[in-house]
Amino acid sequence: MDLNRLNARLAPRSSWQAVDLGTRFYRRWWRQASLVWLVFTAVPFALLAGYAAATRSVWPLLLFWWLKPLWERPLLAFYSRALFDDYPGPLALLRAFPQYGLNGLAAQLTWRRFSPSRGFLTGVWQLEGTRGAQVSGRIAVMLRPPGQRAGTLTFTVLGLEHAMTVALVVLAMTLVPWQFNLEWSVWFQEQSHLQWGFVNLAWYLVLMVTEPLYVATSFALYLNQRTWLEGWDLQLGLTRIGERRRRAGGAALLVLLALCGAAPHPVEAQAPPPGQAESRLKSLLHQPCRSDFSRDNGTAHQADPKQQAIDLLASDTFMPFEERQDRRLRESLRDDDGDSWWQDLLRRLLDQEPDGGGRDPLHVPDGLITGLGYLLLALLLVVILMMVRRYLPGVGGRGPDGKPVMPVRVAGLDTRAESLPADLEQALDQELARGDVRAALALLLRDGLVTLFHYRPLPLTAGATEQDCLRAYQRELDGAPVIAWLSALINAWTRTAWAHRPSDEQAVRELMARWRALRPPLAGGPR
Amino acid sequence: MTTDVPGEMTPEQATALAGRIEAQLNQVLIGQPAITRQVMIALITGGHVLIEGVPGLGKTLLARSLARVLELDFQRIQFTPDLMPSDVTGHVLFDSQTGDFRVRKGPAFTNLLLADEINRAPAKTQAALLEVMQERRITIEGESFDLAPPFVVLATQNPLDQEGTYPLPEAELDRFLFKILIDYPSHEDEARMMEMVLDGRLPDSLDAAQLTPEANAEGILALGRQANAVILDRALVDYILRLVRATRDHPSLVQGGGPRASIALARTAKTQALLAGRDFVIPDDVKQVAAPVLRHRLRLGVDADIEGQTVESLLEQLLEQVEAPRQ
Repeated sequence: MDLNRLNARLAPRSSWQAVDLGTRFYRRWWRQASLVWLVFTAVPFALLAGYAAATRSVWPLLLFWWLKPLWERPLLAFYSRALFDDYPGPLALLRAFPQYGLNGLAAQLTWRRFSPSRGFLTGVWQLEGTRGAQVSGRIAVMLRPPGQRAGTLTFTVLGLEHAMTVALVVLAMTLVPWQFNLEWSVWFQEQSHLQWGFVNLAWYLVLMVTEPLYVATSFALYLNQRTWLEGWDLQLGLTRIGERRRRAGGAALLVLLALCGAAPHPVEAQAPPPGQAESRLKSLLHQPCRSDFSRDNGTAHQADPKQQAIDLLASDTFMPFEERQDRRLRESLRDDDGDSWWQDLLRRLLDQEPDGGGRDPLHVPDGLITGLGYLLLALLLVVILMMVRRYLPGVGGRGPDGKPVMPVRVAGLDTRAESLPADLEQALDQELARGDVRAALALLLRDGLVTLFHYRPLPLTAGATEQDCLRAYQRELDGAPVIAWLSALINAWTRTAWAHRPSDEQAVRELMARWRALRPPLAGGPR
Repeated sequence: MTTDVPGEMTPEQATALAGRIEAQLNQVLIGQPAITRQVMIALITGGHVLIEGVPGLGKTLLARSLARVLELDFQRIQFTPDLMPSDVTGHVLFDSQTGDFRVRKGPAFTNLLLADEINRAPAKTQAALLEVMQERRITIEGESFDLAPPFVVLATQNPLDQEGTYPLPEAELDRFLFKILIDYPSHEDEARMMEMVLDGRLPDSLDAAQLTPEANAEGILALGRQANAVILDRALVDYILRLVRATRDHPSLVQGGGPRASIALARTAKTQALLAGRDFVIPDDVKQVAAPVLRHRLRLGVDADIEGQTVESLLEQLLEQVEAPRQ
């Protein structure tokens, strides 16, 4: 195959241009890519969505969403081969899945699942076959500018996915005849199995567009990053020149070959034999970036021709030596080390990237978008936690151990254990001696409630009245002697407190006497 | 047979009379004791009631039964989009025989007025009725007529089928003492009702004729006076105020209860205490009447509505959160 049959022209592009190239990949191969997506995901999705609709649960769909890195692997395999005019069918991809789909998958499905550069970095495992400890170093290299645009791409496609899903559902709802009486509020509160299934289907249809698009654009970003780092464009360009010169022959070829050797990226000066150009590019794509191939690293790999070129470039005839002096203000020479941590952070977030983003009027700093993405994720988690706390039965008014917590006040009475006198009988006698029946009954009721709560904790609230407490313990301890005592006490208390008709002293002493007999087993602790 | 009701009665007599009336009503309105209790409270307190429920749950039967048991004058108006204010209050006619104008009084001249599907009439007609409810007086062609007490309006609304309706504005809703939600009876009650109809013990058509009168208008007014005499402790007044003010400060509510709600809560809590056989109010009386007094005076915010909250659930939260009165 000659290089002119390559489906894309390799060139160092800005990130936006690379993403644009990715969208062109998708537009060109959307039918095949969608078919690959369907073949790999239709059955799992149908099973999970069916189960989700039957149980009206979000967990199966959450699982499908979580497995996105798995579903994206066949798409990347397809694009990486389609780039060379090789279009594997879904079945071929299915058979070859163990070869390309498993390396690094566990990491991508666990601790790397929330990586905003997920699609961009998949190539590190899938195309390069990087394993083990080398992965982290390789990822660090890949995320050098302009590679960190991958996060922006991920959040953009995520936003697109959600907007398209909502738009599709809204569109469908507007087309539903009014007789179905679909209300927005009802839609969000009580969804039928059919509605549930429909929303899931809408999401899947959107994924059929966004996922192949996301993989294509991420792949284009990946290609672009490797072109920047490894100078593929130069290698391929020089190879073409080499072929032309070889055909033309002559002494000029020797000079050119010498210059090729002097390029920052060592290339094969000798043209590959016919039919081997494609395998050369494939090998470039499927090999890890080594430091001696880097544009930035000038370590000699093929010493002689390169050294010759370096000598040539360093000679006075090629680059005359010139010494210049200028003056700058002292402030402008100050080092950045004096900045505070927040200034450093701001600079990192808002720094202009070397891919020309600073000149772009629509430039949005990548760090800012990634930071906002994580912020939204954190907010989402907080909201979910709050909802769980709110809707889980019995969570409110309970302690960390899940047991109900006694409010500070119940029925308007202080129910803190420490507020009760050490000797109840003595305190009661004192109140009665003062003629304060109301205070004596209040004391008895407080002790009764605290003891009962200690014996059988119930979720009482600050708004609970005396009758609420009585009803709660009646339900719990129906028929127990303490319930009859509590009922009599609350009767006496309500007449005293709310009708201003105090019980006589004798009645209070009788209640105290009954409590003396009832209290010890209850004060013994919970049963 | 009408029971002789003295002008003044003891609290025990008042409770017994109210109990008899409730028992009569529960004979025909099976499985809805809470509804009859709330209607009784509104009637004794002298307030108007907005009843919301799907058709066929006995709203008209309840009104007819009340009129029968209390020997009150009863009128029913079916509100429709073409109903005019004069169809409610009355109008002036030219009498060709006498050659003079004559006032023809409308159905609002009664003791118990059933305004069926009040939200089907346009705002102008609704306003005419609501003015009568507030003033208890009707003016026709410059001549004013005081309505004989008691005057109670039982207005109904259908929560479904809202197309072509005119929702009552908040200011007008505030004039109803209670908003009562009437729901389907329980499985057991409905089965009991079916058995009674099939056995012939209960007619399947609206028929309150089997009920015996227990009181008259004077009896209802005497019950109201007894309710007024019920003791309401200062701490309970404070509790009512804290409760109503909490509705104003709640973040999920864009409109809370006004002073009229506080007053209504206090008055109905007193009547509730009387019906429970007490001459003093306890905090539970306030909690029992809080929902029907407040639910139509509160307006839910859009966010809370989307989150699936309801006025009922918020009221439940508030009753749990607002600290019980302290003695």
